[in-house]
Amino acid sequence: MPGVWIFAEKKDLAQELLTIGRELASPIGVKVTAIVPDQGDQGDIYIAGGADEVVLLSPLAEDMSLDAWLPVIAAEAKKADPDLILLAATARGKDFAARLAARLETGLCSNCIALHREENGTIVMERLAYGGAAVQQVTCPTRPVIATIPPRTFAPAPADHGRLGEIRKLPPPPPSPVRVIARKTKERSSQDITEAKAVICVGRGMEKQEDINIARQLADLVGGEVGCTRPISEELHWLPDDLCIGLSGVQVKPDLYIGLGVSGQIQHVTGIRGARVICAVNKDENAPIFQAADLGIVGDLYDVTPKLVEELQKATGR
Amino acid sequence: MPNIVACFKWVIDEAYIRKGPSGTLDFSAVDYKISDYDRNAIEEAARLKGFHGGSVTVLTAGAPAASKGVKDALSRGADQAFFAGDPTFNQLESSQTAAILGEIIRSRIPYDLIICGEGSSDQYAQQVGPRLAENLGIPCISYVQKLTIGADGRIIAERRVEDGVEVVEAPLPVVVTVLPEINTPRIPGVKDTLMASKKPVVTIKKEELPPVGAARLQTLGMTATRMERNCEKFAAMPEGIARFVEALQKRGVIN
Repeated sequence: MPGVWIFAEKKDLAQELLTIGRELASPIGVKVTAIVPDQGDQGDIYIAGGADEVVLLSPLAEDMSLDAWLPVIAAEAKKADPDLILLAATARGKDFAARLAARLETGLCSNCIALHREENGTIVMERLAYGGAAVQQVTCPTRPVIATIPPRTFAPAPADHGRLGEIRKLPPPPPSPVRVIARKTKERSSQDITEAKAVICVGRGMEKQEDINIARQLADLVGGEVGCTRPISEELHWLPDDLCIGLSGVQVKPDLYIGLGVSGQIQHVTGIRGARVICAVNKDENAPIFQAADLGIVGDLYDVTPKLVEELQKATGR
Repeated sequence: MPNIVACFKWVIDEAYIRKGPSGTLDFSAVDYKISDYDRNAIEEAARLKGFHGGSVTVLTAGAPAASKGVKDALSRGADQAFFAGDPTFNQLESSQTAAILGEIIRSRIPYDLIICGEGSSDQYAQQVGPRLAENLGIPCISYVQKLTIGADGRIIAERRVEDGVEVVEAPLPVVVTVLPEINTPRIPGVKDTLMASKKPVVTIKKEELPPVGAARLQTLGMTATRMERNCEKFAAMPEGIARFVEALQKRGVIN
């Protein structure tokens, strides 16, 4: 039976997928099915968000992870034969999608950033390749077409409480051979750089961990947050990884971005493309960041930043 | 003692891709490399062998020119390599790569643990590891930042997920995909490179494998991303910095 499925482990991600799911389903008059964990909300919110059918996944035992649902969802998909399955591109979601695609012998567009239906019915999807240097357009000739969609690609679906739909529950799946033996909840950084108005980014040009204070001072002055490039969080562990900006980290869209000692590798630049004004301070005048920037200062960040702070204090009267 | 297989892809180094006229990609000056996170996969295999003994086999499918990558991989602590090289293996899609690697592993390489990078530097589809696990009918643990093999032959892995870390255990054999923070890949020395050329390489021709199916995902086009901005540069002198701040004010991003 034709239709669009959405699958997400979190409520807010499911609401985002409903936006695009509804957009693709409505013009051809097919049903939208939301497959979501049962979080005690009875599923009404997904119907209000655009689902015609909600499949609630019973809570998993403590030692089970999302992958336990794989055989069940694959069997459901074989039975129902949807045209399109959209999953949230979280770590578990991407792993789940790839294995589901293998079981259903079909294609998967990973980290899909845009998709539309052509007049002939073909779904055309877009994703980034080569670290973000290229946009790749793909189609999937087999059914179902599967795509994973990064969080915040689409706005959450508005609620329409007058909508009607069906809700059913799936019983817990059998245990998978992979057992969860511990969960450590991440200490969230107090700041959320994805929503920040200004982002000061620390790059490899920063020589010592305590020097991050230089960036922090600048951030405070412009009412922004501090982020970093991949080596700072992953090799040096100077900042938590949820502050790592780039293709495989977070994507930011502030009004103002200032990179301090950031070289501007393509993967990082991909994460700041949405910034309104991009500025860079780097002593290497050939650093690629200058090609991606609007305003640049060629100079040593240790020399430039204090002067910049002083000048900004003068200009803003702080 | 575990038989460990590390899979890798020989890819275009994206830092060398230039932008051609009208949004095309110019590959004329590119260099190649072992995909970044696959270097972590090979390193992790070598690291585990250091603890537990056993063997490390590196495996790739690609164009004949990827033989350079095979030598590179062998200089990173592997014992032997399997290489499926064919001109038609140049632009394989994830499902095709997973099918070829799966077939070679199933028919030719004893395995307890298979390690892949979480995704390749070129396509970054992040599918080969999980698809390979499905093809072999074994569990997959992806996005792993720490890996241990227990005394009972079970594997314990820390996966990084959005809300933190999920520590899981599974019986071998299993496929694991690794994140870059799992280790720091070695930089092979001259001696490693010399030794690598003496290590056995099993080359597999396309004809020795079952026919490769069509790409599950078809690429319609590839265009360069537009991200150049007209960078206005300022000198690192008091006057330059003052003008820089003025420019910020003019654009309304500070107040």
